[in-house]
Parts: sequence; C-alpha cells; structure tokens
Amino acid sequence: MQEHVQLSQKKINDDLLAGVLGMPKWWLGAVGFLLLVIATGIGAYGYEINKGLGVTGLNRPVLWGFYITNFVFWIGISHAGIMISAILRLTQAEWRRPVTRVAEVMTIFSLMAALSNIMFHVGRPWRLFWVYPYDFSRGLFMNIRSPFVWDPSAVMTYLIGSTLFVYVALIPDIAVVRDRATGKFAPKIYGMLCLGWRGTPRQWKLQAIAGILLSALVLPVFVSVHSIVSWDFAVAIGVEGWHSTIFAPYFIIGAIHSGVSAVAMIMALAMWMWKLDNYLRPDHFDAIGRLLIVVATTWFFFFFVEWIFALYTLESPELALRELQVFQAPYMWLFLAFLLTSFFIPVPMWLFKSVRRSPGLMFLSTILVNIGMWLERFLIIIPGLARRQPLQFDWGSYHPSIVEILVVAETFAFVALGMLLFSKFFPIIPIFDMKEGMQVREEIKIGRRIVPASIRETP
Amino acid sequence: MAKRSVLGLFTEEQVDEAGDALEALASAGYTTTEYEVLTGTPYPEGTFGEAEPKHKLFRWPLTGAACGFIIGLVLTAGSQLAFPLVTGGKPILSIPPMAIIMYEGTMLGAIIFTIIGILLESRLPRLFMGAYDKRITEGYIGVTVTTEEDRIPRAEEVLKQSGAGDITRGWESK
Amino acid sequence: MASHNASGHNEEHHAEGMYVPFTSQREVVNDLVTKHDKISDKWLSGVAAAGFLLVLGVIGFVMRVNDGVSDRMVWAYYAMMFSFILTTASAAPMVAIAPRLANAHWRRPVSRVAELWSAAGIFSLLLFIPMLWILPPLTDGRRSLWFYNSDDPFFSKVPVYSPHIWTTAALLSLAALGIMLLWLSAMPDLALMREHSTGWKQKWSARLSGRWIGTTEQWNMLHHRMGIVGALYFMMLVFVHYLVSTDFLMTLVPGWIDSLYPLTHAANSLQAGVATVILTMFFLRKFGGYEDYFTLDQFWAMSKLLFALSLLWFWFWFSSFNVFWYGKKPSEQAVLKYLMVGSYQPAFMAGFILSFVTPLLVMMWNRVRKSFWGPTIMSVAVLAGTFFDRLRLYVAAWSYPGVGDYRVDKHEIPFDSIPAANMPGVPDVLIVLGVIGGAVLFYLLAARLIPPVSIWEQKELMLYKLHKAYHRTEVLVLGKPR
Repeated sequence: MQEHVQLSQKKINDDLLAGVLGMPKWWLGAVGFLLLVIATGIGAYGYEINKGLGVTGLNRPVLWGFYITNFVFWIGISHAGIMISAILRLTQAEWRRPVTRVAEVMTIFSLMAALSNIMFHVGRPWRLFWVYPYDFSRGLFMNIRSPFVWDPSAVMTYLIGSTLFVYVALIPDIAVVRDRATGKFAPKIYGMLCLGWRGTPRQWKLQAIAGILLSALVLPVFVSVHSIVSWDFAVAIGVEGWHSTIFAPYFIIGAIHSGVSAVAMIMALAMWMWKLDNYLRPDHFDAIGRLLIVVATTWFFFFFVEWIFALYTLESPELALRELQVFQAPYMWLFLAFLLTSFFIPVPMWLFKSVRRSPGLMFLSTILVNIGMWLERFLIIIPGLARRQPLQFDWGSYHPSIVEILVVAETFAFVALGMLLFSKFFPIIPIFDMKEGMQVREEIKIGRRIVPASIRETP
Repeated sequence: MAKRSVLGLFTEEQVDEAGDALEALASAGYTTTEYEVLTGTPYPEGTFGEAEPKHKLFRWPLTGAACGFIIGLVLTAGSQLAFPLVTGGKPILSIPPMAIIMYEGTMLGAIIFTIIGILLESRLPRLFMGAYDKRITEGYIGVTVTTEEDRIPRAEEVLKQSGAGDITRGWESK
Repeated sequence: MASHNASGHNEEHHAEGMYVPFTSQREVVNDLVTKHDKISDKWLSGVAAAGFLLVLGVIGFVMRVNDGVSDRMVWAYYAMMFSFILTTASAAPMVAIAPRLANAHWRRPVSRVAELWSAAGIFSLLLFIPMLWILPPLTDGRRSLWFYNSDDPFFSKVPVYSPHIWTTAALLSLAALGIMLLWLSAMPDLALMREHSTGWKQKWSARLSGRWIGTTEQWNMLHHRMGIVGALYFMMLVFVHYLVSTDFLMTLVPGWIDSLYPLTHAANSLQAGVATVILTMFFLRKFGGYEDYFTLDQFWAMSKLLFALSLLWFWFWFSSFNVFWYGKKPSEQAVLKYLMVGSYQPAFMAGFILSFVTPLLVMMWNRVRKSFWGPTIMSVAVLAGTFFDRLRLYVAAWSYPGVGDYRVDKHEIPFDSIPAANMPGVPDVLIVLGVIGGAVLFYLLAARLIPPVSIWEQKELMLYKLHKAYHRTEVLVLGKPR
C-alpha cells in the first residue's frame, strides 16, 4: 500500500456517495439497455414456457445444456464474494477495504441469477417448491437422498447468509447516507434501514466482530455450496466423466478462479464509472493479480490431476469421452479456447508487474478467464452427456437455440442491473471501512525510509 | 421522568478534548451508562478513555447452530420416515445426505442468530436518535449524555468547558 | 514502551499479544547466541532417547531384511512410516514458507523451527532407499500413473521402474530444496555465529555463511531467493505427495480410483506439518528455554491454522467418501469396505476422531485456541490421528494379497473376500519407534548446527512491531515493508 492517498472523512463521503446522491450521466442509459436485454430474455423464456422445452436445443441424451452450464458458472462467480471478503477479512489484509462490498454484492446477484437458471431449465417451474417439505396433508415429501435437494438447501443458506452479511456491514454506511440524503422520504427510509445507528464504541466494536465472525461462519457454507453443486454431477455413475472424487475441490477452486477474476473485472469497471482512482489503486490490482496467479496455478493443478485420473482408469468409455473433448470438432476448438483463455494467456500476463498494475489489462485478462471458465463448465457438461450410452436408441446432439442464448444473456444483464441498482441506492465501496483504513494508517520511520504500517488491535 | 439527551460536538482534531469531556463527565458524577462518544469511524478501542464495551455475542451462534441442527435433523429424518421410499438402494435414513442438509441447517441457524445477536448487542434498532448531529458521519466527534432532565444543564456546562463546539439537545423517548 | 520492557516476563502482556521481551537488538543476539552455544542436559537426554529409539528401529529393520522383499506384506508398516515422516516432517517447513509469503509477523520466531524439519528430509531419503526394492515393478499388471501396458505397442515401452525413478527424483529435489531453504534463511545467522561463536561452530558457520556481510543487495537477494525456493518447495511437496500417494499406495489397491486422494494426502500433510511445528514449539518453550520467543501470539496463530486444516481434513475425506458411497459402484464399495469399514475400521475411526472430531469440538473455543496447552494437546491428537490414518491406508494397501504378482487381478477387489487386517509384529513396533526417533534425532542434531530461533527475523520484527501511545490508549503498530 505504498500509494495510499490520505483523505478526510468529508472527502470520502463526497466521493463515495456521488453515485448515490447524484446520478452519473451514463446511468439511465445503462439501466435502459440492461432492461431491454432482460425484457428480451424474459420474452424468450415466456415463449419457452408456452411452447415447452422443445424450443431449446436440448435433445436426448444431452438434456443439460446452456442453462445448467450457466447455473454452474454463476454459482462459481458467487464464490468470489466470500473468497475475497471473508478470507481477506480473516487475514486482516489491508487491501481488502475497497473491494469487499463489490465482491459481496456480486455474490448475491449472481446467486439469484444461478437460481433463475434452474427455473429456466426445468419444464414445469411451478413445481420448484417441491424441494421444500411442505406437504403434510398428502404425506408426500421430497427425497433428501437426491443431490437436487441438497443443492437448494445449500444455495439458499448461502444466499440468506451473504445477504444478511452485506446488510450488517452496510448499516454504518446507510447511516452516512441518511445524514446526507435530501427530500421527504429518503432520509426516513435510510433512517429506518440503518436502525438508528449512531456510531458508539459498542456499535463499532460489534461491527468489527461481525466482520470476523460472519466471515468465519460464511466460509464453511461457501465451501459446501460448490461442493454440493459438483455432487449434482459426481455422485451418480451414469456419466463416466463426472463420477470423480476430485469434483468438489476442483469446482471450488475453479469457482474461486472465475470469481476472483470477476471481482477484478468489476473493480476496474467501478473505477472507471465512478472515477474512484483515489480508492482503487494500482496496488489493489497488483494484490489481486498476485492472488490470481496462485489461484490459477492451483486450479490448473487440479485440472491436471482430474485428467490424469480419468486416463488412469484406462476404461474405454472414459477414454472415449476425453477423446471427444480434445480431438473432435467442435469441442476440440472450444477446448483449445478454454485452455488458452483460462490459463495460458492470462497467467503469463499476470507475471508482469506492469500488467498487474494496469486496470485495463487486468480487465481484459480477467474477462478472458471468465470466458474460459464458462467454456470449462460447458465442456464438462455437454460432451459428457453427448456420448452414446448402452441401450440408447435415440442419439442426438446439442446446439443452443436462440431462446437459450437470449435467456443466458438475460442472466448477465440481470447481474449487471442488480449491481447498478445497488450502487444507486447504497455506496458500493464501504465508506466506513475506507475511513477506518485512513484512521489506522501509520508510518514507521527507520532511518531515512518510511515504512507503511497499520494499527492493530488484538481482539 | 422523561430522559433527555445532550450532545457536544468536537472536531476531528479534538480527539483529546473529547477524551477530556468524558473524564470531566465522570468526575462530575455521571455514570458510564449515561455518557457515550459517537464517531463516524471506528477508533482504536480506548482512544477516548472510554470503558471497554462488554458483550455476550458468542452465545448467539452456538444457540443458533444448535437450533439449526435440530431442525435439520427433524426435517431430514421426519420427512424420510413420513414418506419411506427407497431410492438407489440407499437406506431410508441415509446418514451422508442427512448430514449435508443438517450441516446447512446448522450453519443457517448460526448465521441468522449471529445477525440477530449483533443487532441486539449493538443496541439496535434504536427508535429515537436523541441528540445527534449529521456532522458526526463527516468526521466530527460527538459526546452525548443521556440522563434525567434536571441533570442536563450541568452536563451541557461540562461539555462546553471541555471545548465542545456546538451543543444540541434531543429527546430519548416521547 | 518502557513499561513493557521493564516487566519483561509479565504474563498479562502475553495475554494481550503485546509482548516485547527485549529493548535492543544486541540483547536479542546475545540471548539467542548464548542459548544456542550452550549444550544443555535436556538436549543431551533428548539425543540419547532419540538415538536409543533409532537403534531399536535398526534392529527391527534388520529383522525385516531377513524376511526378504518378495512378500510385501511384511514391509507394510515400514512403508507406512516412510509416508508418516513425509507427511509430518517434510510438510513442517510449509509453516515457514506460507506465512512468510503472506508477510505475517507472528511467524518470525516460528519459521526456523519449521525449516529445521527439512533436515529430517535427509532422513526420509534414507528411509526411501529400501522402498525402491520393496515396490514391485509395473509388470504385475496394476494400473499406474505411467500407463505401462505390456500388450500395447506404445505403452509397453514405458520403463517398468518409472515409479521408482520419478519418485526418487522428486524426493531428492524436495530434500535439496529444503536444505537450500534452510541454508538461505540461516545465512545471516551463520554470519553472526561466524563472528560470535568459537571453535568448530565458528569454522562451520564461516564456511557456510559465505560472503555474507549484510549489504542491502544481499538482503534483497535473500528475500527474493527465499520466496522462490519456498514456492518451489511447496510445489515439489505437492508433487511428491501426488507421486507417493498413487505409486506407493493407490495403485496397490485394485479398483481404488480416487482422483482427489493425492491432494487429500498433501492437505493432510499440511495439517500434520502444523501440528509438528506446534509440538516442536512447545518443547523448545518448555525445555529449550525459549519462552520469550514462543508467546501466545505464535500459539494462537498456529492453532487457528491447525483448526482450519482440521476442518479441511473432513471436507477432503467427505468429498471422496460421498462420491464412492453414493455411486454404489461395486469396485468402489469394495474399496470402502477394505479401507474403511472392514478390518481396518478401528484405525479409521481413530484417525477420524483424532484428526477431525476432537479438533473440531475442542478448538472451536477461542479460549482453547489462545492457550499453550490447547494447541499442544490438539497437535498430539492430530499427529496420532494422522498416524492411524496412514496406518489404515498404507498397511492395507501393502498387505493386499498379490502385490507384485501378475497372476492376481489388479482391477477390482472381490467384494466378498476382503482380507483380514495385518497386525503389527515385534519388528513393526520397533520400526515405528525407530523412525520417529530417527526424525527427532536429525532435528536435534540440526538444531545444534543452526539456531532454532531465527535471530535475524527476530531482529527484523523489532523494527516493524511497535507499541505506541494513541491518545488515551496504547496500540500495536505493524509495519509492512514489502
């Protein structure tokens, strides 16, 4: 944190509330565009409900397609929130301060997007509530031995937990907005939302404990969510390529890879859109870049082990599946693109300090990662199912239909819109955290060198 | 008798004066439950010489976890016993899947209870703001005294003597 | 802070984590050099006890050599102890590497304690030599990482000793990296001994410290090199675990195809490595006279790590188990039956309870984590748990009938004829004791050569860790130089 810029509390308020109290010129246009994409997607989905799943490209035996790929993708992105904010909070990394909320809010909206994909995917979405135990009159209950029941329980826990986490960490900042908002209703509404926050030492102390304690509680949930998503694939033996014990950790580390990349991406965007150059420094991108090198390399090792052990079995169906993924078009091209975008282009880039410190290049490289990680999920799901099984008389292939493409585009627009709306009503960079960062900032003078330092309280 | 409150406002640089005010209030006979310091950012504990806030937050997650665990157990065991359909050759009460859902229940219970605990231990929600100044979230430091109406003027005096700039009064309840 | 220095040994300051025992760098140097120069009775009795155990182990080993290597079953416990040392001693240096990369100040007194365990890497190399004879070549028809297949025109060209060759190479690299890391990090201290010690120690440190005089360039270089060697050590450690856990374990059990297991093996070793270092810290504190350096700060930080890694233990185990249990594939059910619920069930349960259940229930309490006894006792539990976990897997794998015999099917365990457990004989018990004694002996000897508490890191800490008055309170200020 060499390039720290010391700012007064008033300046921080003014800068970070600019988007909440005022409205940037581009804001309405961006929201309008996103709404249009969402409307198209919802229209396509309405058509799908009306006509049935036949309008998608799903086809025997490929009965999981774009929607499930997209589901896993968004679950993966949602893991960024907790990875960044919880782990960095627990390790007391100072550079976490401006990025925690972006990451947490992204968690919430991408989880919602993930859940909506399940709704798009099932033929009769109005029966979704059957995963909950409700039917006392008919004595008909869900089958908890199915991973499809574990899944909603984990995702809902994660969604509720991270939403509450964001809210608690938001209370002091809502109080700042309350004290600045004008008009008849806004101060009242913010006043109610912040529950009458005043900023006593007791409140600050509990806020600090909340950060640590909730991080420690959400972290195990985060691990369970993607593990369980991976078990949707891995526990059954129907698809050879999926029945692999490494899936849970492999999915988690992949989720962290794509999620942390997404955070870097959003950080760059936020910096450009709200002119937050004083808060998101090249140092922050540097730190996230270093983290990404470690994460990406670990992920690649898991990928390698997963592959080796697929070949290790020397069982012909497994080998045939791998052959399909790597040597047959169109999957071979996708596989090549996946390897290049998720690892071989971005990681060498991050090795250079000048790349890590450049928001533009970090933005580009992390977009590549996310393209790659989307393809990774696609390559696990579709070729896995596309193989012909014994006793199969009907053997089709898979091409996404325009309906699926529009609906998938809708989920991206949904997350973007969610983040934009959130940032209109609440500060997207934690104000009190930034102020605290300025407050605990210290310097140690050793000879002629001034070493940046921070005040630590031992809880 | 209705409680009233008074707030003395100090600037960002007057950290020591705010600390003096707390000291002066203590020696003027006000108890630690009556006066508080309000800041727009967390200061290291004890910066103003204030008492260390005591709390019992750690009971909350444990209670929540226990509740969540029991609900998870009842839900998984109960629904399977109520509708005993064997699937995949697995026993009706299969421990690994039950453990997964019970785990989620435990964690959800712990998180929800922790949130409730944090709010209650923070003394939130607070219905009446009492004496407050919007400049506190801008860096100013507020020292409030909440006490019986007749002890307010003396508190005001003490605050003024310690160097408080603006002094405002407020209601604690109606 | 004068008050803190004056009340050097005040327990209250330990509790606040605000403990600075010395005022000047000279004091630290004097204290640590004196402690290291003195040969204490406790060290001598430690060496004697460890040496005695090692002798017992050698006797056990000789008894086993008499049995020959054709029957792998008799070597099962030996193989297990080799993996146990790999899991504990070889993983311990990670406690120095990871926090150093994360720039955590609490690690400073701990890093040398952890790095010294890489001396035991040489011992694990010695232990490995007999394994080269015990492990059969790939001709017995088992699955392997190297895809040897005598019927295939291409894969029949794979060297049948590939596991032996590659694991030897990897283990040699790991030991070399470990020693290099130890040497690098000890260099400033060796230079210090060159100037402050006498006799053979002076000569030995003069030779090893090279031209170290502490220029800025040398310091920068040192930090840079330690970072790189540390990262390489970690990668090599994971790779060694990958090779050992497959070629020396998984391939020997027909039908055991667990893609996660190599990583589980590595993750377990991190847990056991942390436990090893906590235990070493405890002994150095209790018997080595280093109570000023291993304060509650270190125990607390380490016990948080141990707790997190114990939770990770369960996650790795359950990720594998759930997939096997749910899939109900006959070959996988047979593996579960053999390794977990069959004749090795007691060992599995012991490992499960000691490595996960006990740490979970005990270490969830901050009061336990923030104490000297809590983490220490839990480390003993974790090490015992690791021991039993390695036992049930390695002993089971090496005792499976037909290891090395091409006539026995290597693709599936017949579900109905699960072999009985291989109970230890007298030589096995001797080997277990001897290997533990040997590792400890190597550590104790290495600690004679190189100070077990890093002097320069301790001095550096004094630069960056300050106590400062802040209005009406006192705060801890931590500098982040890099």
